[in-house]
Amino acid sequence: MKVIVPVKQVPDVVEDLELTADGTDVDREFLKFVVNEFDEQALEEALCIKESSGAAVVVVGLDEPDVDQALYGALAKGADRAVKLVGTGEGWLPGHRRSAILAAWLAGEGYDLVLTGVQAADDLDGQLATLLGARLGLPHISVVVRVDAEGSAARVRQELAGGTVVEEAVALPAVIGVQAARQAPRYVSISRIRQAQQSGAVEEVPAATADGATGFRLRRLLAPERTSHAEMLRGGPGEVAERIVELIRAKGLIPG
Amino acid sequence: MAFGIAGLRLWWLGRLIRAGGPAPGRTKGAWRRLGAELVEVVGQRKLLRRWQSGIPHALTFWGFAVLLFTIIETYGDVLYQQRFAIPGIGHAAALGFVEDLFSLLVLAAIGVFTVIRLVDSPSRRDRKSRFYGSHIGVAWLALLFIALVVITLLGYRAAQVNTGDFPYGAWAFASHGLAHLLQPLGHGANAALETALLLANVAIIMAFLVLLVYSKHLHILLAPVNIAFSRRPRALGPLQAPQNPTGAGRIEQLSWKQLLDLATCTECGRCQAVCPAWNSDEPLSPKLLVMSLRDHLFASAPLLIGEGRPPAGANGDRPRTAPLVPDVIEPDVVWSCTTCGACVEQCPVDIEHVDTIVDLRRQLVDEGRMQAGLQEALQKITRQGNSFGKSERARARWTRDLGFPVKDARKEPVRYLWFVGDFASFDERVQQLSRTLAQLLHDAGVDFGLLYDSERNAGNDVRRAGEEGLFEMLVEQNMTALGQASFEAIFTTDPHSFNTLRNEYPDHGLDKRVLHYSQLLDELLASSAIAVDSLGARVTYHDPCYLARYNRLTKAPRQVLAALGCDLVEMPRHGVNTFCCGAGGGRIWMEDSAAGERPSESRIREAAALGVDLFVVACPKDFVMYSDAVKTTGHDDRLRVVDLVQLVEQAARRPTPGARASTTPPVSRSSAGPAPDP
Amino acid sequence: MSNDVLVLAEHQGGALCTVTFELAGRARELADAWGGQVQVALLGASNLAGQLGSADVVFTAEHPALADYNPEAYERVLLSIVHARTPRLVLLSTATAGLDLSAALSVGWDAPVVSSVVGLSAEGEGALATAQIYGGKLLAEVELAGSRAVCAVIAGSFPAAAGRRDRPPAVEAIDAAAVLDGLRTSVTGVVTAEAGDVDITAADVLVSVGRGIGSRDDLEVAEELADALGAPLAGSRPLTDQGWLPKSRQVGKSGVTVKPKLYLALGISGAPEHVEGMRDAELVIACNTDAKAPIFDVAHYGTTVDLFDLVPELVKRLKP
Repeated sequence: MKVIVPVKQVPDVVEDLELTADGTDVDREFLKFVVNEFDEQALEEALCIKESSGAAVVVVGLDEPDVDQALYGALAKGADRAVKLVGTGEGWLPGHRRSAILAAWLAGEGYDLVLTGVQAADDLDGQLATLLGARLGLPHISVVVRVDAEGSAARVRQELAGGTVVEEAVALPAVIGVQAARQAPRYVSISRIRQAQQSGAVEEVPAATADGATGFRLRRLLAPERTSHAEMLRGGPGEVAERIVELIRAKGLIPG
Repeated sequence: MAFGIAGLRLWWLGRLIRAGGPAPGRTKGAWRRLGAELVEVVGQRKLLRRWQSGIPHALTFWGFAVLLFTIIETYGDVLYQQRFAIPGIGHAAALGFVEDLFSLLVLAAIGVFTVIRLVDSPSRRDRKSRFYGSHIGVAWLALLFIALVVITLLGYRAAQVNTGDFPYGAWAFASHGLAHLLQPLGHGANAALETALLLANVAIIMAFLVLLVYSKHLHILLAPVNIAFSRRPRALGPLQAPQNPTGAGRIEQLSWKQLLDLATCTECGRCQAVCPAWNSDEPLSPKLLVMSLRDHLFASAPLLIGEGRPPAGANGDRPRTAPLVPDVIEPDVVWSCTTCGACVEQCPVDIEHVDTIVDLRRQLVDEGRMQAGLQEALQKITRQGNSFGKSERARARWTRDLGFPVKDARKEPVRYLWFVGDFASFDERVQQLSRTLAQLLHDAGVDFGLLYDSERNAGNDVRRAGEEGLFEMLVEQNMTALGQASFEAIFTTDPHSFNTLRNEYPDHGLDKRVLHYSQLLDELLASSAIAVDSLGARVTYHDPCYLARYNRLTKAPRQVLAALGCDLVEMPRHGVNTFCCGAGGGRIWMEDSAAGERPSESRIREAAALGVDLFVVACPKDFVMYSDAVKTTGHDDRLRVVDLVQLVEQAARRPTPGARASTTPPVSRSSAGPAPDP
Repeated sequence: MSNDVLVLAEHQGGALCTVTFELAGRARELADAWGGQVQVALLGASNLAGQLGSADVVFTAEHPALADYNPEAYERVLLSIVHARTPRLVLLSTATAGLDLSAALSVGWDAPVVSSVVGLSAEGEGALATAQIYGGKLLAEVELAGSRAVCAVIAGSFPAAAGRRDRPPAVEAIDAAAVLDGLRTSVTGVVTAEAGDVDITAADVLVSVGRGIGSRDDLEVAEELADALGAPLAGSRPLTDQGWLPKSRQVGKSGVTVKPKLYLALGISGAPEHVEGMRDAELVIACNTDAKAPIFDVAHYGTTVDLFDLVPELVKRLKP
């Protein structure tokens, strides 16, 4: 069983996002990048598969800011290999192009499962798991909360709205968009990451010159206008509580 | 034979303890170590802090030092010749008196110990007893043995008086007194009694020697050794990088000093009695932790040093000892610790519990075994450099509402570099205190600046949570930032940051004076750079563990309160014996699972009993913890939590009256009436 | 090529999802502007076709593989429809089906796709889509000028009323058997939400908690308030992920959508996924120490008082 986990670096949305002069991208110069939180879930699920039924886990990232840290972190957590696809350029990369680059690399790799995050904060032209599955002509399932690999098939749990979960069997190879791993992503200590760094085990592979345009024109990015805003209740806890109780009473919702 | 048994046991113990890892720096400073022996062992310093048990213990200790003479005399009598005299001293009247005096004092001490053990018995007081979980039977046996040693001693000495074998005159008053009672028995009976009691005395001492090396009473022999190798100037102090990079997962990964700690434990339970975790019904007792590890150490001896060590496995591996967590110690025990250091401070034999707990945590962190809350905090600190997960660029945002710019120490030289810390930078409740302090310093003309977005969490609690690698990373980042700045001294808001900057950063090259803001305020008040009017408030002051216990910083905040004309009423637990708020050592990031009263709530009740109006703190975490605790205990109508800086602001004479709105609600005056005008 | 707008109908538990009416309503506006038809693809639930009166035509398909939602089966049928009917625009929601299918349609039908759309209008011959990006911190304006496109729309972006029309639409049954041969994905079981727990969608008042609750213990504070109001406790995803609340209490995208008379949001930041599930509450009062929290954009009243200060005060006043 070989599980590939593509990971992606996204701007840390904790930071204030500022726009470039032409307004079509965030200003990346002072931005901090973190690994997409759903990709961390995908990696955790892949490691769980490895631990429960045996698998080789290969994590792959594009050459994006701070991707090394993410790749070494994955190695420190227990991934068997880490690959960095270099030469992909800077700035926002459309999902279509990302999936084309990864599909070209995957063609020479051989794999049973591709696990990646169900979505990412900077998805604008589709989610990687779906784009990749469709491009590779493989079955793909999104919003998955558990994957168990069983020989030539996988058993997955897919979440629908309202807490309903469907269990599906899917023939391998397949691409899975992970919403949450069966357990919270494990912590990896800084000293383990540093050890992984010292062993220098990230393979660098030139990225294929794949095209993959969005097919649309991004006119501009803008901060959402606050169409409405709550009326803020001022004062100490007591005064605010008093106002809230009045509001609830006015709606006739005080019991008794 | 008894000597043989005891000797073998001690030799075995020595080998077992040497199975531990290295403990660098534990032999440096011989004179200071000798001094410690005098103060801690001969002077019984820590024991005498609790006088009820300390005085009897000191009497027993000193008593046995004196009775050593009688033991030599007895052995001389038995083995060598009748009326044996120690060469050089002979049978001086004074020796006879002192021997008799201490015999009686030891007996009296045994009586007090009996009362203490009956009153504070675990069967009566359960977890509240400091002997809960200790070996009770052996303790009674030891008391009995000590009593018998003295009784047989006095008995045969009295009989000797009657048979004419006694070498001492009337100054040996107890022997002569008892002799009067025995005289009616006649010469023959007294002679028989003399022989019987003399032999009994020798036999009991032999038996006690064997009991000693096989029980907690080993401390009689090991306490001086452990104290000799303890951390100086105090057993409580800066942590060191682990010898084993991933901490201690197995018993042999503890250092030999940590193993010596285990063997030395007396099971006295002073640590347990003061532990904030134990007192809020958390599973941790420092004593039980040490006892469990010690029992495991002894049980693992065959694997560590045994002659009949099981043969190496096929791949050359020896069978390893069991993992310490969870086989020996439950994870919750390890995580309950607030690293407040009360246990180490109390321990009469200088056991360093916190170091061992942190080593256990290091192993758990390395394996990623920790609570979700802690994991999240560590990840935020890794990513954003602060436990709030806020953007580092937002770190100095609290300065925006000030009416003046705060200097950027990276860009222009300042006298003081203010290391603000996470809570004072990001928590809205504490930000207000930071602004108050900034305004006061500005008004007082203090030249200070910040590191702005270059400051990172100082790492004190990260290190104590067991994430040594992250601590090192934070030190590197902070040292780089400090290297870019030009300043004379650092002051911190947070006592935890203060501790690590002052005591642990010097190992990484920091060579500047580090102050706590309470010290700075003290200096400014003393030099009248801040002029104040008397507040006359009735207050109590909570010593932060990392100021008072770890750094002995207790005077400055009190001098500030005195300068403000506050009437300070001390809580029973104050100064170096302060009680932890429960937030230290990374606990603030973890769920509290305790069934009992939270440490902060217990503390508020302690303060409320004093009838003071204000509960003064000098730590951002304390401000947060106690602001919550006064509410949850329902004391918020009587007791208000204020930071030291709020009081100073309240008392400060405005540079231009009315120009600046007070950021602090008015302080309620003491019921004693208006404060006198200075 | 046509000027039609195709909507994928989403249904669960034998009922159409509200978002389908929202999409149909907006589809109507766009189709009218372009002079095309509104078409709805309704797979595995032909019996619901009568409710889709705002459509000009409803394509229905019945097959054992469509009995339950199967992403691969849906993808194949939808692809066959778009290839055959060449609509100008396909609308899906951003729920599970949208995540499974929108980008797949883009690849399989060679059409641009826009994710997380919150605004959509005709712009001449084309369309302008406004989409959330970076967790809703920014919006992206995207021009869809070509002859085909796919949009995944966040629920609640358009009014549902516009999509409800009381008239029978034309129904056209599609034979899906041919494209459903050799599926590699099969549904082996369906687990519905834990039964026996409170149904928070039926409550008039909800006390809902988010990340601002630091620990499981702190939940007690909120529980006390919920008791005082006679309301069940609900929460955002972080709390159910931690296991502090049962999954059935989760409000938002992967949880349930609620419309109580009063929604008291405590320590909820207001991530788009959560807001999706509660934006239609009649009265939203939010408490969050971060004045910039997006929850204040949907709340009617807000306060930055710390919830641990506020809640005891509320309880004091609400307890008889």
